[in-house]
Amino acid sequence: MEIISTLKKIVGPDRVSTSDSICLSYSFNCFLGRDIVRKPDIVVMAETTEQVSEILKAANKYNVTITPKGAVGAAGTGGPLKGGILLDLALMDKIDLIDTTNMKAVAEAGCSFFKLSQELFKKGLMLPTAPYGPGPSVAASAITPVNAFGETKYGPNINLVEGFEVVLPSGETIRVGSMAYADSDFGPYYRYITGPDLVGLFTKSNGAFGIVTKIAYRCLHRPKHWAFHTYYWPLDRIRDATEALVASIAIEVFDIHLMDRWRFEMEPGPILPDDCEFALQFIVNAENEQELHGKEQTVKDICGTHGGIYLPGHAEDFYSQWPPPLIGLRRPTTLPSASTLPTKIPRRHIYLFDELIFPASRLPEVYAKIMETCKKYGFWDIPHHVAFSGFPMNHQVITAPIGIALDDSDPYLVERFHKCQGEFREWFGKKGGTFQYRLPPMVPDFVWTNQLGVYNLLKSIKALLDPNNILSPGTFELGGV
Amino acid sequence: MKELRKTNFKDFKGSWTLCSQCASCYYRGPIVPFNWRELPPPEWSSPQHKCPSYEYYNFRAYTAAGRGILATVVFDDDQFPITDDLIRIVYTCTSCGICAEICQLFKPLTAIWAFREELVQRGAQLPEPLDKIHDNIKKSRNIFGAKRLPKALKGIPARGEHIYFAGCTARFREPEVTRATVEVLKAAGIDIAYLGDEERCCGFVAGHDGNTELLEQQAAQNVEALKKAGAKRVIVSCAHCYKTLKIDYPLIVGELPFEVIHVSELFAKLIDEKKIRFTQEVRKEVTYHDPCFLGRHCKVYDEPRKVLESIPGIKLVEMERNRRWSYCCGSGAKISSACYPEFGTATTRERLAEGKRAAGTIVTACTTCVSRMNRIARKEGMQVEISDLSILVAEGLGIELSPGLE
Repeated sequence: MEIISTLKKIVGPDRVSTSDSICLSYSFNCFLGRDIVRKPDIVVMAETTEQVSEILKAANKYNVTITPKGAVGAAGTGGPLKGGILLDLALMDKIDLIDTTNMKAVAEAGCSFFKLSQELFKKGLMLPTAPYGPGPSVAASAITPVNAFGETKYGPNINLVEGFEVVLPSGETIRVGSMAYADSDFGPYYRYITGPDLVGLFTKSNGAFGIVTKIAYRCLHRPKHWAFHTYYWPLDRIRDATEALVASIAIEVFDIHLMDRWRFEMEPGPILPDDCEFALQFIVNAENEQELHGKEQTVKDICGTHGGIYLPGHAEDFYSQWPPPLIGLRRPTTLPSASTLPTKIPRRHIYLFDELIFPASRLPEVYAKIMETCKKYGFWDIPHHVAFSGFPMNHQVITAPIGIALDDSDPYLVERFHKCQGEFREWFGKKGGTFQYRLPPMVPDFVWTNQLGVYNLLKSIKALLDPNNILSPGTFELGGV
Repeated sequence: MKELRKTNFKDFKGSWTLCSQCASCYYRGPIVPFNWRELPPPEWSSPQHKCPSYEYYNFRAYTAAGRGILATVVFDDDQFPITDDLIRIVYTCTSCGICAEICQLFKPLTAIWAFREELVQRGAQLPEPLDKIHDNIKKSRNIFGAKRLPKALKGIPARGEHIYFAGCTARFREPEVTRATVEVLKAAGIDIAYLGDEERCCGFVAGHDGNTELLEQQAAQNVEALKKAGAKRVIVSCAHCYKTLKIDYPLIVGELPFEVIHVSELFAKLIDEKKIRFTQEVRKEVTYHDPCFLGRHCKVYDEPRKVLESIPGIKLVEMERNRRWSYCCGSGAKISSACYPEFGTATTRERLAEGKRAAGTIVTACTTCVSRMNRIARKEGMQVEISDLSILVAEGLGIELSPGLE
């Protein structure tokens, strides 16, 4: 095939493969669910933006679809929906800039999020997103069509992104947001410099509008003092827990993680009290001990006022462990249960929803509906327990992945799973709740019917930028599948 | 999880389908960034470059995660075509074990070994050198097909409580190591015995390339010979043999009626007991290469360092990647170097360069690693000295090891 020889000329013969085995090794995402096979026809590894540009020109010329990918990883999913080229960017892993004074960082798309985070840490900076796994690259964590991994109260990663270098489907390279000024004397110092914010076009896009090759982050100063606390509530006190949650989001707390009992039990740690149904885990930080104690007292007051019961040592132990419990090694995405509950869980834990997004204040009714719907279809307790994990963000919003433990090779269970999903989706979508999915195609259900105008505009932009629909086909079903 | 021996991929399939493909086993960069307050301690401070086959071939298939995917797919489909590409992917795994060190949840390396067994059981055509090695093991009792024993091992009694298990490489490729080991042990007052022709290849290569049947034969014959010779303690030079005797043999033949000890462990013990007393200064700045099969696989990290630090004049400097994060010497369990020499050479070159950055002499405690690094250093014209621990110990004891003796 001509395209193969063209690609080999661009990146070298050793960086292009049509081997069935190699293509197959890129075909599974997140977990090896057989129903999520996305096998490319060609795998190409690029090392520079120029190579990405030439590859896109070739893909356009030969009308071959192309989907970018990092090192996969816990949430850095994606992959080709229908064959074509898989562009592996894992070798583009350099950190171009860490500007400690202006608190900015620029890295290549394939750089691991852990790598950038650790280098920033060494220089007294941080990206305030929870470090869940090394796999998601810095770009994947911004373009994956969910809130990305490791949301903290600061919100998704994309809240910290200020600029992209992007190769458009035509092969043209553009720089948007602060990256437009990356080579200037001032450097990439501000996202909203001139005109509309085009960074947004590429966020959560799964590469549908262009392939991100570099990314600029706004970093935060890392305080030296940290403390970790857990409070819990029984099921019948969910309204009190919600009030404590809403009040906590409003104040200066670094992070809050809401877990229901099942989600909590998946993490290593002491046995939970019998009456613990919801737990709020707090991370507070400060520049000095006095400030830290003040913040800890505020959290204590809020939780105490709303009937929260202190769980001493739990969060402290949780965040002192090596390796940290949240990372992929200890907590393979969907299956912490693999290590902690081996005898109880039949097989894997699959997402009922990758992300449900709703106002934090509506937690009681959303949780009640999840429970009602899941119980109706035979899910809730062992062996098909449902785990709720909530990431409150400072927009007074919760983004929550919901998982069910089930054997997805059992057609009866899978059918019930889909019915359960559909019924809840109907209710939640009509309420105005938002769903986000890691894996294309993004079914145009309430995500789009609630924002039809946006959907149509995106389709128009897609048609304009990518007339041959070669980039990440299937994403949002823009341009058809 | 089962270790090597009659593993079947079905033992791993259940857990492998849970692998989240987090990429920790190969991705460049740390596997753990921090816990908000501090950076990870050394045991969790993983190096940037981890998996040798990924670093050379770059495609995801050449990682533990990629091989795990292929293994599950192959296992599910008994008609799955076993192509040369697939064989290369599976047999370029160096068995260095860093993936299993990182991912203690799924033990990916053991799954890769099981994958190889599966391929052998399906009658897959293995890379050509492996057939030759198997043939040599069967006909000549060693992997090289060599016939003559080194002089250092001649005249040693064939029976005794302390039996030196030299291994194929020490016997036929690194006789100076054999001689140094024997002389040091004699100097420490140990009545060393040696099986002679009754010492057969330990079966390491066969076991690790999926031919467990041959490994089992070797295990049964060696254990029988060692029992007959009256062994109470078997002393091993080669890290590959050590892992095979220490870990794999008991899984095959049951509890061994003798102790298996690596020379580095024994030297450390003899130093403690003051049976080894150094008399000579060895003025050298050295770095220690942790052999994969001694370090990661058998967790022997401290003893070789202790021995080195006990030798007067030796200054030990650590390489960037050391202990559990040590990098493969390129031998690749003797399999990837034999079958895919370009890959093997590139890996050795990288390790030699790293060692050279640390010190003028790279010391290790495995004859296979010594042999491998020596050969590539010579071939590539790299100015770095390679030595075995036993040779430095002999020097510290004033034992002369004249070159060309063998």
